[in-house]
Amino acid sequence: MTSTEVVFVVLSAVGSIGAFRLVTSKNVVHAALYLVLTLSMVGAAYLVLAAGFLAWVQVLIYVGAIVVLLLFSLMLTKAPIGREALDNQQRGWAALVGAGVLAGLVFLIQNAFGSAPRIQIQPATTSEVGASVFANFVLPFEVVSVLLLAALVGAVVIARRDERP
Amino acid sequence: MGPLAQAVAPSHMPIVLRPLLPELILVGTALALMLLDALRPTPDQRPFVLLSLAGVAGAAAATLSLWTWKGPGSVLGGMIAADRFAVYFRLVILAAAALGILLSSYYLDRAGEARGEYYPLLLFATAGMTLITAASDLILIFLALEILSLSLYLLTGFSFRRLASAEASMKYFLLGAFSSAFFLYGIAFAYGATGTTNLAGIATALASRVNGDALALIAVGLLAVGFSFKIAAVPFHMWTPDAYQGAPTCVTAFMSAGTKVAAFGAFLRVFGVAFLPLAHDWRAFMGVLAAISIIVGSVLAIAQTDIKRLLAYSSIAQAGFILVGLSAGTQAGIQSAMFYLAVYAGTVLGAFAVVAIASVRGEEHTALSSYAGLARRRPLLGLALTAFLLSLAGIPPMAGFIAKVSVFSAAVQAGSWPLVLIAVLASVAAAFFYIRVIVLMYMQDPAPEIEGVRIESDPAGWAAVLAPAFLTVVFGILPGLLFGLLRTASVVRF
Amino acid sequence: MIAADTIRLPIPLIFSATLFSAGVYGVLARRNAVLVLMSVELMLNAVNVNLVAFSAHLKDKLFTGQIFALFVITVAAAEVGIGLAIVILIYRNREMINVDEVNLLKW
Repeated sequence: MTSTEVVFVVLSAVGSIGAFRLVTSKNVVHAALYLVLTLSMVGAAYLVLAAGFLAWVQVLIYVGAIVVLLLFSLMLTKAPIGREALDNQQRGWAALVGAGVLAGLVFLIQNAFGSAPRIQIQPATTSEVGASVFANFVLPFEVVSVLLLAALVGAVVIARRDERP
Repeated sequence: MGPLAQAVAPSHMPIVLRPLLPELILVGTALALMLLDALRPTPDQRPFVLLSLAGVAGAAAATLSLWTWKGPGSVLGGMIAADRFAVYFRLVILAAAALGILLSSYYLDRAGEARGEYYPLLLFATAGMTLITAASDLILIFLALEILSLSLYLLTGFSFRRLASAEASMKYFLLGAFSSAFFLYGIAFAYGATGTTNLAGIATALASRVNGDALALIAVGLLAVGFSFKIAAVPFHMWTPDAYQGAPTCVTAFMSAGTKVAAFGAFLRVFGVAFLPLAHDWRAFMGVLAAISIIVGSVLAIAQTDIKRLLAYSSIAQAGFILVGLSAGTQAGIQSAMFYLAVYAGTVLGAFAVVAIASVRGEEHTALSSYAGLARRRPLLGLALTAFLLSLAGIPPMAGFIAKVSVFSAAVQAGSWPLVLIAVLASVAAAFFYIRVIVLMYMQDPAPEIEGVRIESDPAGWAAVLAPAFLTVVFGILPGLLFGLLRTASVVRF
Repeated sequence: MIAADTIRLPIPLIFSATLFSAGVYGVLARRNAVLVLMSVELMLNAVNVNLVAFSAHLKDKLFTGQIFALFVITVAAAEVGIGLAIVILIYRNREMINVDEVNLLKW
């Protein structure tokens, strides 16, 4: 194993534990904190894979904004605490499905890429990524802006208290 | 030449926007509507309705002009296909949007839920629907899918005072987000297996492989799961009855027609272009999906006591019939599925329009028992609903009959007669519950509490009922009108 | 001799698969809507790890994987915003956001 691999494996182990605790935790606020842990590890994984710009976007948008929104939702709804309050009755069945998905994916990934050549990590600078966005992905970029506008307008309409009689 | 210059190079290609004009007009109209609402707030809905109809008409005109498009088959870096396939689907969706807008003005007036943001959201959803049928890159398909889904989650929850609407919105949203994640995972594997997200590029990469590789098959499976959620095929249909019942009826009418047409458009394009080299593998999967959708949809529809839920289960079964055409994997199969989709869109929209009018105000009187004696109280309304139900059941002379026959014959030609056998048997059984409603409308006396309810109507509501009813009969008698167009429109290459 | 800055492709892919399966479990097992939404976020992150790993593996000159991941993050933000709005809408009506207790409609 190269040093890069060792670092990545440690990151993924921490991230996976965070993910596991997130979906099993009995306390919603703890779950949100485990989400922060996992998201940060994913950001660090991007750094290891030399996707620097994406890593900082991950920290700013995901850890910074999305988690805060989720925490707001938890606070505003006074989410309860305890297994009975948070989990439904199909836990065993869900665990079976989750384990099945994991086993199937790991098998197929090993099968398809077990002998693939190693990734030579070449750093992608922000300017290269930015140039590609505005040269090759202008249309999706504009479409995303329409999507954000629709989401913004809609979320305000739905969440606003109705002032009219 | 540095790496930067290399990345910038493609921008020297000319930018051709005309194949994107319909979406630009729709989004532009939505922005104008929001400005109108902000600058001149008025309780009167009419300016909004007229402006949105004008936007849809403009988009339809722009779409029609693309029928004779002579330029390249795909533009904007291969992201937008300028083919007749996209023109056909856009026209169906825009027609559904226009009827949806008319029905909404009728419904919102009476339910007292009119708000200025409704029509912009509906136009955003329409723009997402038309964009997805023209998109020939998985990135764009995903984004268009999200635009239409996010707008529809919000429209579903638009009756904010009614708890059922909010709950339907939440279920639709959570399951929709779940299915989007599967869809995205599929795209990620397709990209990993082929190195591109462009549909034609994926097809080229897959065609050069000697044996179908496992990774591409996972991508196919995950994408099929994502699409199955959107088209409401069993076992990914759980959201459908609740979303259709809880949403305001005008939204239900629009989304039951629009979402299915749009998602099937993208489905046909992705599987008919990108994964065509793997057709041998996915055909069987589609067949199974079709069979269980038809059976489960038809069986559960029998047990329903609410007309909106009944139509929801019926639409699940219809998704199965359309999948029968898709599973043929041939030109005839695509053609028949496209015919079926247009017929389905008109029929289901009309049926929900009848429900909206018969409910009088908001969501009252949607129980099946309220339909007893409807044909006596309002003969024209009863006649229209009869036409739609017969078409859904596939009984001549309605268009639904031609649609079913063409789908079945395409599947038989492709050799999947066991599937056709199941489908025919199920549609015979399903005819029972459609006819039960017709019997209820004609043979029974109205319940005493509904007897005195006056069903009022205005031109907008009637247009949303009579236009689809007219088309259902016309396409049933003269299906050649539509099949003539489909001969060239069912060719997908990008 | 293996250069230090190389990594075998299955390692990030398996990390992604772990996150994805955890998300699937969370969606199926949780009954609180916000926790279901968090599990969906896990799944979206799994997709992004996959995309970035494939982008590096394919030596993509256009950085398709990385840029798509950016779009996914944006869409996720929009989704969470809408999720918050819907959750608030329900809570205002009902003071409860468990997905299997919303029993006006059958689950």
